Amino acid sequence: MEAIVVEKLRKQFDPPKGPVAVDDVSFRIAEGEIFSLLGPNGAGKTTMISILSCLLKPDQGEAWVGGFSVTKEPEKVKQLIGVVPQEIAVYEDLTGRENLAFWGRMYGLGGQLLRQRVDEVLEVVGLVDRQKDRVGKYSSGMKRRLNIGIALLHQPRILYLDEPTVGIDPQSRRSILDRVKELNAAGTTVLYTTHYMEEAQELSHRVGIMDHGAMIAIGSQAELVQLVGGRTRIDLRVDRHLQLVAEQWQSLPGVHSLSRDEDTGLQLLADDAAALMPRLLESARALGVRITEMTVAEPNLEMVFLHLTGRALRD
Amino acid sequence: MLRALLVAAKDVRHVYRSRASLVLMLVAPLLVTGAIGAAFGSGEGFEIEATRTVVVDQDRGAGAGHPASTDASADGGAGAGFPAAGAAIRAALGSPELADLVDLTTSPDPQSARAAVDAGVADVAVVIPPDLSEALWGGSPFGDGEPGPATIQIYKDASRTVGPGIVAAVVEQVVRTCQGAVAAARSAVAATAAHGLDDPAALGALASAAASDFLTRAQSDPGLSLRARPPSVSTTGPERAPNVAAQVLIGMMVFFTLFGASVPARSVLDEHRAGTLPRLFTTATPRSLILGGKYIAVFVVVLLQSIILLIAGLLLYGAHWGAFGPVAVLTVCGAVVAASLGLVTVSFAKTPGQAGAVSSVIFVFLGLVSGSFTGTADLGQVYSVLRRISPLGWLLEAWDNIMFGGSFSDIVLPVLVVLAFSLVFFALATFFFRRRYA
Ligand SMILES: Nc1ncnc2c1ncn2[C@@H]1O[C@H](COP(=O)(O)OP(=O)(O)OP(=O)(O)O)[C@@H](O)[C@H]1O
Ligand SMILES: [Mg+2]
Repeated sequence: MEAIVVEKLRKQFDPPKGPVAVDDVSFRIAEGEIFSLLGPNGAGKTTMISILSCLLKPDQGEAWVGGFSVTKEPEKVKQLIGVVPQEIAVYEDLTGRENLAFWGRMYGLGGQLLRQRVDEVLEVVGLVDRQKDRVGKYSSGMKRRLNIGIALLHQPRILYLDEPTVGIDPQSRRSILDRVKELNAAGTTVLYTTHYMEEAQELSHRVGIMDHGAMIAIGSQAELVQLVGGRTRIDLRVDRHLQLVAEQWQSLPGVHSLSRDEDTGLQLLADDAAALMPRLLESARALGVRITEMTVAEPNLEMVFLHLTGRALRD
Repeated sequence: MLRALLVAAKDVRHVYRSRASLVLMLVAPLLVTGAIGAAFGSGEGFEIEATRTVVVDQDRGAGAGHPASTDASADGGAGAGFPAAGAAIRAALGSPELADLVDLTTSPDPQSARAAVDAGVADVAVVIPPDLSEALWGGSPFGDGEPGPATIQIYKDASRTVGPGIVAAVVEQVVRTCQGAVAAARSAVAATAAHGLDDPAALGALASAAASDFLTRAQSDPGLSLRARPPSVSTTGPERAPNVAAQVLIGMMVFFTLFGASVPARSVLDEHRAGTLPRLFTTATPRSLILGGKYIAVFVVVLLQSIILLIAGLLLYGAHWGAFGPVAVLTVCGAVVAASLGLVTVSFAKTPGQAGAVSSVIFVFLGLVSGSFTGTADLGQVYSVLRRISPLGWLLEAWDNIMFGGSFSDIVLPVLVVLAFSLVFFALATFFFRRRYA
């Protein structure tokens, strides 16, 4: 049984000149799955979540959540989903507990059940001690946790989390990831967006990689890594002439793709790292450039992205 | 529905927890009222203090030696039927309409009256000469003589200007009216004589009948009004004039409720920006309930604001608003129209900042056109028509009516007009909100 089916969705903001945020995207998420949308800033992840939350109407295509159309049966869809928005959306002038109580009622809870769920969620997000404080006085990590907690109140069958760990300390991030796994183990289908390759890698059963509104690859991690073939990623730092070096190496035999990072960093995907490295050292010497750092990395999702787009995931 | 109320409760609470909103909604109108009231009044409350007036009525009446009488009848002897001018002046000064402004006493002789003013016991003395009526009516029932040079003396305390000015104006008005009565009597006599009637007794009776008829009409429909906004009420029972503070505060209330409404109305945009509105839209609560809750919040905020201001006006400035029923109706009505205006100005805007700027301009314009700031100033006929382009002008008109003692029947039209305006604004706001959010 499919929890989410997306069929040829397209969304352009401010047509005809605005950005095409989602461009002819199709995918399916099975019930009980954790599916991650991985992509850099502006890839279209939030737009996709908005369409699946019935907040935005697609220009073309259709999506079904729990078998209900997002355009024709939004009320049905909204009964099934819990949404953790990317931007923290809580009321700062209410306390943590008041926030949960208010949102719980908006989700249709009430009475004893509401009270019980508020207590449980406070426990889950670790805000029991601070429940009587105004949210305006919370740290940003605490606000993020509350932001997540709100979406859990009504125990949704399908949970969307849009970059829930941005700007959060490692400890809180750990606990959020663990919580997501627990919820999933209890049967919740999860749609998770992130631009942290590590998170997608740790959590997901399957990953969709988005770039410029398009779904450029989709599959389990093993399947995606296969796309890179036997290639290896090499990260390098040089002390000068980055531009020149990048141009030269782009055309070196054995370099599959290359991207520049910050001021002095280069990532390249090598068909055969062992054969390529001496050539790089030689070329650097010829240009009068010193290589200050060189690491060789195992194939991972980041390399898949580099492989497919020629750019690093985090730019 | 319950969820709409929850949204409303949250918003109302938000507004009343914000010090900035409270200053704008409650403190500002009360302070402005206080400032304007202080500029007008002198101390206690803001009523203009009643002018202590001493009248010395020496008028002998028109028929020499006859006792003065205001209710002349046509069947008296020649001349005897003319109304006595002195009594008319006394009656005008002592009329209930002027009770708040003129504190009237009489004195037997000019010397003691002037002494009272000198001693500061009275503010102004009005000395009516013995030959006033004779001079006015030309000394003859036929009215063919010229009015004599009788002089009414107004003796005032030099430090006072407004009070004696009012008294002088009233006296002058009565004299003018009497002169009008003379003219009326003359033309009646002339017209009748032209038809060949020349019995002096009959002509005299006719003249006095014409004069007193004119006078009665003139008095029942006085050309002089001390009210800034003449109310269009059919007065039943004793009329009450509102104090200055009450009129100013009503204007301020109508104006500042617009701002009161725009604060919660803007929360639609604020919440949109903060992301809580889209998040609300992802819950199972229908959008219509969420926006409906916002509408309720705006209305409740303004209603509370109005009630607080009315009570504060009562306690701080001793304002009397009028009969409870009409006051309640107008309060609700005012909240409805302010809410609709607050919402419609926000519904056009894209950002909270834009909404704030645009609505402030619109509100100040409406306030100016409607007469929120002009308080008691009489700006004439054109203005009283002009202000009706604004629902607030109608609303202020209705408030005037009930503050001057009017009842439900005096506010039906304004209330209907105000509600019609509100309906249009609500419809527009809903149209724009739906286009954006639905
Ligand atoms: N409301 C909007 N109006 C106009 N353009 C928009 C709007 N929202 C998003 N866009 C554009 O659509 C594209 C996709 O944006 P989206 O927010 O979906 O990306 P994202 O993958 O969530 O990025 P991030 O990782 O930064 O959150 C971007 O080019 C963005 O500028
Ligand atoms: Mg995003």
